[in-house]
Amino acid sequence: MNTGVQYETLIYRLAGVSKIYRKGGREILAVRDLDLEIRAGEWLAVQGKTGHGKTTLLQILGGLDRPTRGRVEFGGQDLATANEARVRKVRASSFGFIFQTFNLVPTLSAQENVEAALIPLGVRLAQRRARVAAALDSVGLGDRAQHLPGELSGGQQQRVAIARALVKAPKVLLADEPTGNLDEDTRDEIVGLLDTLWRERGLTLVLVSHDSSVVRRAQRIGVMTRGRLSIRQDTRA
Amino acid sequence: MFFLTYLRRELRRRMRQAVFIALGLAIGIGLVITVMGASSGVKAAQAKVLRALYGIGTDVTVTTKPKPPPARPTTGGQNAAGPGPGGGHATVCLNGKCYTSGTIDTLAGGDQGTLSAATAGQIARLHDVSAAAGGLLLTDNRIVLPTSSSSPLQPPTSVSVDGTDISHPHLGPLSNGKLTNGRAFTAADANADVVDANYATANKLKVGSTVTLAKTKFTVIGIVTQPQASSPPEVYIPLARAQALATDPGTGHSMRGKVNTVYVTAASDADIGAVQQEIEHLLPQATVTSSSDLASEITGSAASAAKLAGALGKWLAVLVLIAAFAVASLLTMAAVARRVPEFGTLKALGWRSSRIVSQVLGESVSTGIIGGLAGVGLGFAGVAIIDKVAPKLSATVPSSGGGLQTQVAGGGSGSVAAGPTGAAASHAATIAVPMSASVTVGAIILAVLLAVAGGLLAGSFGGWRAARLRPAAALARVA
Repeated sequence: MNTGVQYETLIYRLAGVSKIYRKGGREILAVRDLDLEIRAGEWLAVQGKTGHGKTTLLQILGGLDRPTRGRVEFGGQDLATANEARVRKVRASSFGFIFQTFNLVPTLSAQENVEAALIPLGVRLAQRRARVAAALDSVGLGDRAQHLPGELSGGQQQRVAIARALVKAPKVLLADEPTGNLDEDTRDEIVGLLDTLWRERGLTLVLVSHDSSVVRRAQRIGVMTRGRLSIRQDTRA
Repeated sequence: MFFLTYLRRELRRRMRQAVFIALGLAIGIGLVITVMGASSGVKAAQAKVLRALYGIGTDVTVTTKPKPPPARPTTGGQNAAGPGPGGGHATVCLNGKCYTSGTIDTLAGGDQGTLSAATAGQIARLHDVSAAAGGLLLTDNRIVLPTSSSSPLQPPTSVSVDGTDISHPHLGPLSNGKLTNGRAFTAADANADVVDANYATANKLKVGSTVTLAKTKFTVIGIVTQPQASSPPEVYIPLARAQALATDPGTGHSMRGKVNTVYVTAASDADIGAVQQEIEHLLPQATVTSSSDLASEITGSAASAAKLAGALGKWLAVLVLIAAFAVASLLTMAAVARRVPEFGTLKALGWRSSRIVSQVLGESVSTGIIGGLAGVGLGFAGVAIIDKVAPKLSATVPSSGGGLQTQVAGGGSGSVAAGPTGAAASHAATIAVPMSASVTVGAIILAVLLAVAGGLLAGSFGGWRAARLRPAAALARVA
C-alpha cells in the first residue's frame, strides 16, 4: 500500500526532452526542454489545455513515441534511443495504458480484451484465464466477462480497460483523460477506483487530464503550457 | 487459440465485407475453373479427333509424297474413259489396259507415295521410338461396265480399306476401334476382314458375310465401332493381303513389300520431337507428322472453341481475377484503415507488428479460402452449364500431310475418269466432335492456390499498412 512517503526509487528521469512535429511544412513544438523525475509509487497528474503537450508527454513516457531530443530514462535504460523491440518489451511488461475512448477491441469480449494484454508476455492459457478473472473481479466486472464492449456502459468499458492495464501487473499506469468520456458520477467512480488501485498495488500513476476535480487527487500536479511543464503542487513531503 | 478467437470474431463482425470479398474471389476463381474445364473439354475433343485419326497409341505418322507419273504418250492414254469405238460400248482404260465389258475391281493407294515395308522396322530401331508399324490406306474402286450400248454406265463405288499390321494391334486406325461383334485378327487370318459398324449396317453385313475387294472375297470376322469423332476406314484387312492385292496408282505395279503410312509410338511424350527429328534424318523425303502438327491443321468449331477458350476465355478469367484481387486488396486496406486505432492499441499493449500482420493475413486468407471453396462450387456449376448448353463441335481435318484419308468416288454417268492417283479424289473430312467439359483436380488445386494467393495479396497490403503504424500515430486517430 502506498503511504505517500516511500519515494526512494526513481523510476523515470527525463532530461532536456523536446518533441517537434512537422505538419504542413510547419514545425510544432509539442514538448520543449522538459526535465522531470518521477519516483516509484508516485501519482503525478498533468493538467493543461488541449494541444499543450499532455498526451505527447504521456506517449513519450509510455514508449509510444520518441522525443526529438533528450533522454527518457526508465529503469536504467533510455527509451529515446533503445531499439523498437526493446521498447516494445518494456511496453508489454511495465506499462499499463488507459485511454479516454477506452480503446477496447469491439469484437472481443471483456475477458478477451483483458487477455489481449497478456498475449505479448507469452502467458499460458490457464494462467491467463486466472489472471484475467482476477483483474475483472478487481474492477467489479467479474460477472460481465463474456460481454462485448458494445453491451457495456461507458464506465464499465473503462473498468475493462483498467483491468486490461492492470492484468500484467505493470510498474506504471499511464492514463490519458480516463474520465473524459464519462459523466460526473461515473467519473468519480473511476477516479475512486484508480485511487484505490494505486494505493493497494503500489503503482506509479501518471494521469493526464484537464479536469481539476480529477487531478487534485494526485500527490503532485504539473501543468503543461505550450509544451513546458511546471509543477504546481507537491504533497509528497 | 487467441489468434483463432480473434480471427473468428473479426470475420463474423465484418461478415458483409467478408462475403463481398469472398464472392468476388469466388467469381474470379469460378470463371478460371470454368474456362479451364471448357478448355480441357475442347482439348479432350481434339485429342479424340487425333486418336481417331491415328489410333490411340500413335504419336507420329510417316508418309511420303507420290512419285510423279512417268511421261507417256497422250494418245490412247493410260487411264481414260469414254464411249467405245463407233459410239458403242463404254470403254475404261486403266494402267494401259482398256475394258469394254465386265467388272473392274481394283484396290489402290490414295494420293500418298509408298514406302518400303522395311521402313517400319528401321524406324522401330530408332533410339526414342517405342514401336512402329506399317499400314496401307487404300480404296477399293468398283466399276461395272454395261453389257449393251443402250445401258448407261453406272457410277463407280468405292470402299475405304485399311491394310493393318495385325502383329501391332495397338497401332494404326484399328487400334482405336471397339470390337462389338465377332473377333479380332489372328496370324492365321488371310482372306478375313473386320468391318466398321456403320459400313456393316449400311450394307447389311454381319459376321460370316463376305465382302469383295479387288475381286477377292473376304469373310467378315468382326465388326468394330470407332469413336464418334472420326471418319474411319470401312474395311480392315491384314496388311499382307492388302499388299498382295493393291496396285500403286503411280506406277501401276503391285504394292507387295510396300506401305504408305508408318505409325510410330515415341518412348515418351517428351520424346516426340526427337522422334520426328530422327525420322526426318533417316528418311529425308518423308513427311513426318505428329499429333500436334495435325492439331494445328484441324479447323472448324472445335478449333474455334479451343482458340476461344485458350485466348478470350483465359484473358477474361485473368482480368476477372485481377479485378477480384484488386477489390479484395482495396477492401482489406480500407478495413485496416478503419482499424488503425485498434492496431495502435494492440501495439501499445506490446503486440509485435508481425503478430498484427499475421492476424490481418489470417483474416484475409480465411476469406480467400472461403471464396476459393465457393469458386470451386461456381466452377462446377459453370462447367455443368457448359456441358448442358454447349453445341456439338465439328472438326475439319485436312487429308494432306499424312492425316486421315477420306476418299470419294469421282466420275459420273457415261464416263469415269481414272487418273494416276486412282479413281478417287481426296478431300477434307468434317466430323462431329462431342465436347464434355469437366473440372480437373489440377483446376481445383489451382483454385485453392489462387484463393490463398488472393487472400495473401489482399492481406499483405493491409498488413503492410498495419505494420507501418507507429503506436502514437495510430492512437492519435482516436483522439
